[in-house]
Amino acid sequence: MTDVVLHGLTKRFGAVPAVRNLTCTMSPGVTGFLGPNGAGKTTTLRMLLGLVRPTAGTATVGGRRYAELPQPRRVVGALLDATGFHPGRTARQHLLISADQSGLPTARVAVALQQVGLEKDADRRVRGYSLGMRQRLGLATALLGDPEVLVLDEPGNGLDPAGLAWLRGLLRDLGADGRTVIVSSHVLAEVQQIADRVVILGEGTLRHDGPLAGLPGLEAEFLRLTGGVA
Amino acid sequence: MRAELRKLTTVRSTWLLLALAQVVVIAGVSGLMLRRDDPASDAAQRGAIAHVGLVALFGLLAGIVAMAGEYRHRTITDTFLARPRRSQTVLSKAVVAGMAGAVFGISASATALVADAVWLAAKGSSIDLANAVLWKTVAGGVGWNVAFAVVGVGVGALIPNLSAAVASALAWLALVEGIVGELIGGGARWLPFALGQALVGLPNSADRPAVWQAGSVLTLYAALFVAAGVAVTTRRDIT
Repeated sequence: MTDVVLHGLTKRFGAVPAVRNLTCTMSPGVTGFLGPNGAGKTTTLRMLLGLVRPTAGTATVGGRRYAELPQPRRVVGALLDATGFHPGRTARQHLLISADQSGLPTARVAVALQQVGLEKDADRRVRGYSLGMRQRLGLATALLGDPEVLVLDEPGNGLDPAGLAWLRGLLRDLGADGRTVIVSSHVLAEVQQIADRVVILGEGTLRHDGPLAGLPGLEAEFLRLTGGVA
Repeated sequence: MRAELRKLTTVRSTWLLLALAQVVVIAGVSGLMLRRDDPASDAAQRGAIAHVGLVALFGLLAGIVAMAGEYRHRTITDTFLARPRRSQTVLSKAVVAGMAGAVFGISASATALVADAVWLAAKGSSIDLANAVLWKTVAGGVGWNVAFAVVGVGVGALIPNLSAAVASALAWLALVEGIVGELIGGGARWLPFALGQALVGLPNSADRPAVWQAGSVLTLYAALFVAAGVAVTTRRDIT
C-alpha cells in the first residue's frame, strides 16, 4: 500500500509556469490523471519520477522522493512515451538492458514479455514494431520490477480495440491488487471504465480531486473544470 | 556497468566503427609502405604503426554515441528511471568507453602489425618484432584510443544533441584545433590531437611533449570532460 503525495509542487520553465502549487494524494487503486494539452500532466509525472527538477515543492512515493528510493524500479514502474527504444535493438535486448541497470533479475524479462503478450515478437528489432507493440514494450518495461506504483502516460495510444480491452483488464487487475496506478489519458470514456478516482489539472493547477463516482458526467465536468467548450 | 556494455554491443554502429577502423589502418599502413624506400627503418615503422592512433577518432565517436545516442533515442528516460543517481551512469559509460577504446586500439594494432609484416615481406624485408619502436608506438596508440573514447562520453554529455556532438568533435579535429593552435603558438602541442600524436612519437621534433607528459595531460582532459559531463547531466531536466 503505497501513496503518491504531491505537495506544493511547482515548475517553471524559464518564465513559463507549467505546474503551480499542486497538492494531492494518490492512493492504491486506479487514478485517472486528466487535463487538456499543456495542463502540466506530463511535467508533473516527470517531476514525480525525478526526471524534471521541481522549482518548488515535493513529490514523494511512500514518503520518499524518487531519487531516494534504494531500488526505484521495484517501487515505481513508468511508461512515459512509447519512443524510448533504440530501433536497432530487439524488445528482449531492451528489457535485458533495463533489468540490468535496474538491478532486477533477468528472469523478470520473460515474465514481463508474457504479461504484455510480446513473447512471439521479442527477438525482432523495434524498428519494425507498430505503435501498439511499442506501447506494449513500454508497459513491459514498467512492469519489469513488479512495482507497487505504476505511472502510465497515455498507455492506450496506438492500441487496437482488442489491445484497449486487454489494457483495461490489466489496469483494473493491477488496481484491484492494491497497487497505485496513475493513468493519464485524453480518452475520457476509457478512464471512466477503469478509474476509481480522478485528478483533473487545468493550466498547471489542480481543478478536481475526488472519486469518479462523485462526478455526474465525466466529460461535462472535465470541460467545465478546464474551461473547454462543450 | 553490464548494462552499459550490453548497450554498446547491441547497436550496430559500434561494430561498424570497429570495422571501419581496421580499413583505415590497412589503408594508412599500405599508403606509407608504398611510398617509402626505407620501409624497415625506425621512422617508417613508427609512421606505419602510428595509424593505430588515428583510430582514436572512431573511439571518440563511439564514446559520443554511447552518451548522446541515449538522448537521441530517448532511452535516457529509462536509464535515469533505473538509476536516478545520474553521475553513476556517466561514470559507468566512461569506464566502458575506455574499455571499448582499448579494444579499438588493440585490434587496430594487430591489424597494423599484420599489414606492416605483409608489406615488409612483399618488399623483401621482414618485420622485427623485437624492435622497441614498434611496441612503444602500439602502447601510445592504444592509450590515445582509450583517452579519446572517454573524452567522447564527456562530449556526448555536454552536447546531448547527437549530430551536434559528432559535428563539433569532427570540426575540432579537422579545423578548430589547427586554428586555435595558430592563435596560441607554442601551447598548440598541449591540445588534444597534438597530445595523441605525441603519444605515438609524432611529429619527429624536439619540442614535442614527452610520452609521460602527453599521457598525463590527455588523462587530465578526459577527467575534465567527464567531470563537466557529470555536472551538466545531474542538473538537466529530461522532458
